[in-house]
Amino acid sequence: MALLEVKDLRVGYRIFEGTLNVLNHAQLKIDEGERVGLVGETGCGKTTTVKTILRVLPIPPAQVQGGEILYRGEDVLRMSSRAARELRRREITAIFQDPLQALNPMFTVGTQLRDILKESKAGRDGGRLTRREIERRCIAALQETGMPDPERIMTNYPSQLSGGMRQRICIAEALSREARLLLADEPTTNLDVTIQDQILRKLDELVDEKGTSVLMITHSMGVVRDLTQRLYIMYAGAMVETGKTKELLARPRHPYTQGLMKSVPRLTGEGISEGIPGRIPNYLEPPSGCRFHPRCEHVMPVCKEAIPSFYAVDEDHFAACYLFRS
Amino acid sequence: MRQERKADFLATLAQRRRTLAKGWYKYSRNPLSVLGLVLLVLIVLAAGLAPHITPYPAQAGAYTDFKNAGKAPSAAHFFGTDRIGRDVFTRVIFGYRFSLLLGIVVLGLGVAPGVILGLLAGYHRGTWIETVIMRVTDVFLAVPPLVLALAITAMLTPNLLNEMFAIALLWWPWYCRLVFAVSSTLRNQFFVREAELAGASEGHILFREMLPNCLAPILTKMTLDMGIVILLGASLSFIGLGAQPPTPCLGTMVADGAKRLPGEWWSTIFPALAIVIVILAFNLVGDGLRDVFAVEEV
Amino acid sequence: MAKYIGLRLVQSVFVLFGLSILIFSIARVVPGDPARAMLGYLATQDQLQAVRVEMHLDKSFPVQYYYWLRDLFHGNLGRSAYTKRPVVTDLVQYVPATLELILFATVISLVIGQVMGILAGYFRNSWFDGVSRLVSYLGIATPSFVIAILLLFFFSQILHLAPSVGRIPIMTQAPPTRTGFMVIDSLLAGQFSTALVALTHLVLPAFSLAMIHIAQEGRITRSSIVENLSKDYITMHKVHGIRTSRLVFKYLLRPSIIPTVTVIGLDFAFLMSNAFLVELVFMWPGFARYALTTMLNKDLNAMVAVVLVIGLTFAVVNLLVDIVITFLDPTIRIQRRGG
Repeated sequence: MALLEVKDLRVGYRIFEGTLNVLNHAQLKIDEGERVGLVGETGCGKTTTVKTILRVLPIPPAQVQGGEILYRGEDVLRMSSRAARELRRREITAIFQDPLQALNPMFTVGTQLRDILKESKAGRDGGRLTRREIERRCIAALQETGMPDPERIMTNYPSQLSGGMRQRICIAEALSREARLLLADEPTTNLDVTIQDQILRKLDELVDEKGTSVLMITHSMGVVRDLTQRLYIMYAGAMVETGKTKELLARPRHPYTQGLMKSVPRLTGEGISEGIPGRIPNYLEPPSGCRFHPRCEHVMPVCKEAIPSFYAVDEDHFAACYLFRS
Repeated sequence: MRQERKADFLATLAQRRRTLAKGWYKYSRNPLSVLGLVLLVLIVLAAGLAPHITPYPAQAGAYTDFKNAGKAPSAAHFFGTDRIGRDVFTRVIFGYRFSLLLGIVVLGLGVAPGVILGLLAGYHRGTWIETVIMRVTDVFLAVPPLVLALAITAMLTPNLLNEMFAIALLWWPWYCRLVFAVSSTLRNQFFVREAELAGASEGHILFREMLPNCLAPILTKMTLDMGIVILLGASLSFIGLGAQPPTPCLGTMVADGAKRLPGEWWSTIFPALAIVIVILAFNLVGDGLRDVFAVEEV
Repeated sequence: MAKYIGLRLVQSVFVLFGLSILIFSIARVVPGDPARAMLGYLATQDQLQAVRVEMHLDKSFPVQYYYWLRDLFHGNLGRSAYTKRPVVTDLVQYVPATLELILFATVISLVIGQVMGILAGYFRNSWFDGVSRLVSYLGIATPSFVIAILLLFFFSQILHLAPSVGRIPIMTQAPPTRTGFMVIDSLLAGQFSTALVALTHLVLPAFSLAMIHIAQEGRITRSSIVENLSKDYITMHKVHGIRTSRLVFKYLLRPSIIPTVTVIGLDFAFLMSNAFLVELVFMWPGFARYALTTMLNKDLNAMVAVVLVIGLTFAVVNLLVDIVITFLDPTIRIQRRGG
């Protein structure tokens, strides 16, 4: 049984002019111990997917229109909110993009870290942790992320720390609970280039050590290449291609993925590419069927009718495109 | 040459009309703001046309009719009659006249000096000019407005004119502070510096460059202030320091009627409701204006 | 931090001096004869002249001010023309009554107003939110004397649920004055029924005072909560599984009450000035009613003292509010230390 399975997920946001149909039959699968990447342009629905899995979508404007999210067989979407919170507390954890906004500015790092551990039932016999134990674990979590002088950091306020340090704290927060699944939403995008590498390596190390499964969201090919085993490519709310990372990157088959690869500037001088013609769709009135069809050079009549499912293009390599319907 | 200027003028006019239309569209999105505006228009019209639309305009002034005193609301007297026989409805409408007059005079007298001083203080930020102006402002703002207004009005003979004068005297500091806050940040913006370099006179910089940027908060505050001034005026006349009888003042009517509670409740309750409605109307309109200007900043 | 408080204190002292000059000028500008006001119509010329010399009315303005200032530093605020007693005695008698009222009103407004604001913000667009918005609009638009009269009308005269006049019923024996707070003094004297009755007397006037603050501060809290709900760090708290009660009352509340606390200081001015009206309606024997009487009677010494007391209270409250904010919001503390 897969650890996490997202099936046919449809999510929209109600705004004044209508409904933004963001997620359009999104699907995902992560097995125990796997590191899966999710690549896509800004606005394609990656963060929405993560928030839906965690059940922290702001539900009045957002609405889940259909689909299932199975975590170890149980549908997250249909759980009670208490069960969902238990899930977040013990099983699934996350890091997001903006470390500057992710920490509450009015409380010390220590307070926030301790509160996370206070309610986890990770003590002996599944009971509460003692104060000393909580303190020890907080310091340990900070040390693991490579923070110098964790005791002092605990007494600091977030505004006294740099972006890189704050992201390390977020990582410490996320990993302090020994969760099974980590959802990392572009964890280094907002950091200085010089630190990005460092943080990613540290993250890689920790995840390796603890055996955590990871969903690594990014729009950087370099990151996926180094850190993931399998990969999903996402476009306009749906997954369009998936396969083993190396294989997929070497031989992209979906027209969008191919366009994406061509757009990445290379040092081995083919010049700057023209990018993919057209624009990302307007979610208020998205294109019918496969949302990429208006920009696709291989478009066929059937593409406008219904969204294609994954068709096998190779061993363990699938693309959601009618081109590969056998 | 004349044709160019005419074209310019028409273009500016068209632009102003567009801005107004856009502003109205934003304003009208909130039903409460529209309600406030409707109420306000009704009140202003009623007050303006008071002698023509009230059933007993003569009863707004000195008038006694003890035969009719203390009558409950009826078809002949919508709000009943007060203890000396005057029609409460008529007096309430005329009372609106004085309330609105108070607001207009106070703001008319108090806003301009406050704005000018605020501009000066902001422009000369860091110099003795700013210090003097802002310290004096601090002194005036050190006690609640009602207390100062009471003190001043009590010192002079209580009548409408003195009431207006007293409140106007202590209203300018609020505008001074508001404009100071805005103008001191504007002071270092590029367009002010450019004007200085170009040799513009201080008057030009203050009134042509900085003032237009302060207009939005000033207008919003003026609208909300109408409500606050009317409230203050009603409070003063409730105590007995405003316009003296027989002038129909809403606050005085409430005070007079209160002595007859619970019996002749109409002579208190209706003037009281009238006060609430006019303040509510100004608050709603002021909030609506704030929303219009706020979105603009994005 | 201590430096900041010291600076503020010095500023306040200057402002108070300026205020004293202002009110002194207004008082001396008044038409009419203060000596006659003091002694009444039957006084002889000699008596009037004696009082004039005593009050230094024959000297120039700066000299008068100097004498007044000197007396101030000796704790002498002059004699009230109205009560014929030293102003200080009057103040000591009347201030606690108003203080009791104001404190009670503040407690009511915080409890009801803040809870209403928090719930309205957290459950925004629910029916509760709609109702509280209505209450807020009406509360802000209604003058305190109107609320006082309406409450008096409904609860006291129609429903006979609450008393309408004074601090305790006329026939009841007042407890010996220790703190000046009727409720506390009654409890200290063991007169429990008196304490209870004193509380019922407090309810209507305190509520009249509190209404506008419930309306305004509740609204500010509400919009603050709504604004902070969408902040990333609140989502992160949810992601980490923090339990809802802790989330709302610890992590959401603290950033949200800061704008409200800022306003509480300013609102205190309105609280004090509305006390003038409410004490009048309920015939509460407090400082505000005393102040009103002195002003209406052109009682110079008392008036100047009264205005100064109000100014001083306001300055102290503002300073306290600033200190509280510094404790609540660490980013301000850090700014101050660094900047």
